[in-house]
Amino acid sequence: MALAHLQDPLQTQKNSSTPSRQQQTKKQLLQPMLEKAGDAIAVLDPSGTLLEVNAAACHLFGRSRRTLVGKSLATLIKPVLDITFDINQVPLNGQLTVVCPKGIERFVEYTLTHNVYPQVHLAIFRDLTQRQAQAEEELRWQRQRVELFSEVTLKIRQSLQLKEILRATVTEVQRILRADRVLIYQVLADGTGKPISESVLPAYPAILGMEFPEEVFPKDYQALYAQGRVRAIADVHSPNAGLAECLVEFVEQFNIQSKLIVPILQNLNPPQPSQENSQNQLWGLLIAHQCSGPRTWADFELELMQQLADQISIAIAQAQLLETLEERVAARTAQLQQMNDSLQQEINDRMQAEAALRQSEEQLRLITNALPVLIAYVDHQQKYRFNNKAYEDWLNQRPADIQGHHIQKVWGKACYRRMQPSVEAALGGAVVTYENEVMVHDGSTRSVNVTYIPHLDEQQTVQGFFALTSDISDRKAIERMKDEFIAVVSHELRTPLTSMHSALKILATGRLGTLSVDGQQMLEIADDNTERLVRLVNNVLDLQRIESGEVTMNKQAHNAADLMIQAMEAMQPMAGQQGVTISTQPKDILIWADADYIVQTLTNLLSNAIKFSSIDGIVTLTIEVRQTSEGKAKDLGLNNIQTLTLTPNPSPRTGEGSKNLVPLLPPWEKGLGDEGVQSASLPSNSLDYLIHDPKQEVLFQVCDQGQGIPADRLESIFERFYQVDSSDSRKKGGTGLGLAICRKIIEQHEGTIWAESTLGSGSIFSFTLPTLKI
Amino acid sequence: MKIKRVLIIDDEESIQTVVRFGIAMAAGWEVLTASSGPQGIHTAQSELIDVILLDVMMPDMDGIATFHALKTYPKTEVIPVIFLTAKAQTSEKNHFNDLGVSGVITKPFNSLDLPSQISKILHWELQS
Repeated sequence: MALAHLQDPLQTQKNSSTPSRQQQTKKQLLQPMLEKAGDAIAVLDPSGTLLEVNAAACHLFGRSRRTLVGKSLATLIKPVLDITFDINQVPLNGQLTVVCPKGIERFVEYTLTHNVYPQVHLAIFRDLTQRQAQAEEELRWQRQRVELFSEVTLKIRQSLQLKEILRATVTEVQRILRADRVLIYQVLADGTGKPISESVLPAYPAILGMEFPEEVFPKDYQALYAQGRVRAIADVHSPNAGLAECLVEFVEQFNIQSKLIVPILQNLNPPQPSQENSQNQLWGLLIAHQCSGPRTWADFELELMQQLADQISIAIAQAQLLETLEERVAARTAQLQQMNDSLQQEINDRMQAEAALRQSEEQLRLITNALPVLIAYVDHQQKYRFNNKAYEDWLNQRPADIQGHHIQKVWGKACYRRMQPSVEAALGGAVVTYENEVMVHDGSTRSVNVTYIPHLDEQQTVQGFFALTSDISDRKAIERMKDEFIAVVSHELRTPLTSMHSALKILATGRLGTLSVDGQQMLEIADDNTERLVRLVNNVLDLQRIESGEVTMNKQAHNAADLMIQAMEAMQPMAGQQGVTISTQPKDILIWADADYIVQTLTNLLSNAIKFSSIDGIVTLTIEVRQTSEGKAKDLGLNNIQTLTLTPNPSPRTGEGSKNLVPLLPPWEKGLGDEGVQSASLPSNSLDYLIHDPKQEVLFQVCDQGQGIPADRLESIFERFYQVDSSDSRKKGGTGLGLAICRKIIEQHEGTIWAESTLGSGSIFSFTLPTLKI
Repeated sequence: MKIKRVLIIDDEESIQTVVRFGIAMAAGWEVLTASSGPQGIHTAQSELIDVILLDVMMPDMDGIATFHALKTYPKTEVIPVIFLTAKAQTSEKNHFNDLGVSGVITKPFNSLDLPSQISKILHWELQS
């Protein structure tokens, strides 16, 4: 091409010169140019035979000029798809393969110019083989670079371990660059630094881990690198390198002849990609050394190093992120650990508390189990929440059969019916004491004394009650023996008393012979004391019967006035004898009582009053209705816990009272009524509550004008065989049991009896009875 | 009023004696005595008796058993029976009444008062 261009101006400028001369001059001029031309030039005839070639062409075709001239060009060209090269057919430029001797092929670019002269064609060839090899080399390097990149990138991705990444990087770089030593030098905050990763040929000293002072890498150098400077020094000894003498000496100790340095930068503000000029900090350097001799570093090598340094930067950023992440994980782990510890502590504390509670419960259980009584806690649903071992022993039940179970299930229906009123009273807030007969697992019956103590919370609501049940079977057996003994003795006494009494009365008639005055007196003493003995026996028997529960008060509605008159009439003869007046103001008040026993009480009190009255004394019997303490409390808005003491259950022998009670029971209470005995005597009994007015009571009073009773004796006079003055018993003919019997009778009516007295001016005996609601 | 014939059945001889003395002295009635249930039943069958005073508590055959036995014979069935007892409770009295006993006299009693008590129970016109 260049030749063609060269020819054209000559041709146009020297158009007017003589052709031969001009041609000759041209030839002389052109010849050396042809010979010196880098491109192979050939002149061909129209058939494609070579007419002339230059030196480059000889070189290209690998043949001498002599061999080439006269040869057909087609023979030197490798056919494409079996089509022989034809100068007249092929395009004017293109590429083809030249076949040289020894099978060598050369890839060339050609330009064909037809008819440079008439019937003369010009062909110019340029050898592309060299360029192709160069391109291939370039490609190979590029591929290696890509491979290295992908490898390093992969390693960076696969590993978050910076150390491993750095080690891989130096190894790979050393391999790719075929450098003698590749190292990563970390610049520390104080300006010093040290190689932290190195790959070095065994022939050269390793510098890994050595610490370098700041002088080796001064601050201003660092600043340059931070701005992205890259240094490639082909020969450290060359003056062009510009290395200070000391530094050359310094590097010589590591055999360094040539080096390539690229900075590893760290972006201080990675999260803001928008900031183009975010500040970079020099983290370290990626350095390649050549120790074998000087080396000129290719641009791509520099580029490779730079790109790797960038990758390392990323790896560092990732590692730092990881570190931060790990730090956060560690901090969070520590936090969690702390929480876990405190939780564990809490668990321990709780376990300790639980253990303490268990221990205290164990102790409680140990104590309660050691006691020969039944101890339990029953909740407001009447279910057992706690029970001691005695329960299990008595009932032969497992703890699981008692705990959480209803009282009725534990004790059975019949027994529960006897317990129910007391249970309900306890859950109503009252302290209840009662006696019961319970059947234990072997079928035997035990007498028990039961106390229920309500459990109130801070709001004074009943949560349940504590139940204390003690076995009183032995005491009951002894009581029964005593009762039986008294009964038998009393009965047995009556027969001889009858004989004595009758015999004395017969004697006293005088029809069996007249006695002397002294004899008559003795007879009277015998007679009086027999009568007294009769009274005593009667009273002892009465008291025993009431106390043992053998007697059930046959309570019915009565007019109190009738009973008062009955008692007064009974005592009238005695009063007359003593010269005492009985004054009474009967009132028509309905009471719920056993008439016989109330009359007995009234006569007893009247009899005492008459006995202790002086002649012409007045004994007064009065009655009134008054408010009870409960009624008063309600009016005042108080609601105190009441304490009820229930009377012992009557023995099953006497079921008399219940019979009379049945018709009065409301239909829903029939079952309870049939059960009988117990229901009649319990104050919490629904019948009593139905007919009693808890706000009112009847007050009976017997007043005398006798000598009075000392204040400290007012209570003890109700005890058995107690008399204020022991001489009284003889003088007044009392048995010492009258007031005790009265108290028992009134208690059986849920009333109270007491005495008040003023010495010298008389006494007042009072008792109360519940009123009927009507 | 004709002289009544009273049969007292009581294992206690002293009771038999005071009853006999008392009734005779107070009303002039004739008193027959028996010391046991069977003996009393025998006497009641063989003699003409107006009233039987029967002690409740006796060994072997007690008053209640004797009473039931007396009620099984046509001759003794009609004779009124009054129990003599130490048990004086209302419930027991009711129980005895339920059996068909004419009345109950509680020990200790004064045998001189017996004729009037018997007459009152059996609604006899007593001449004093």
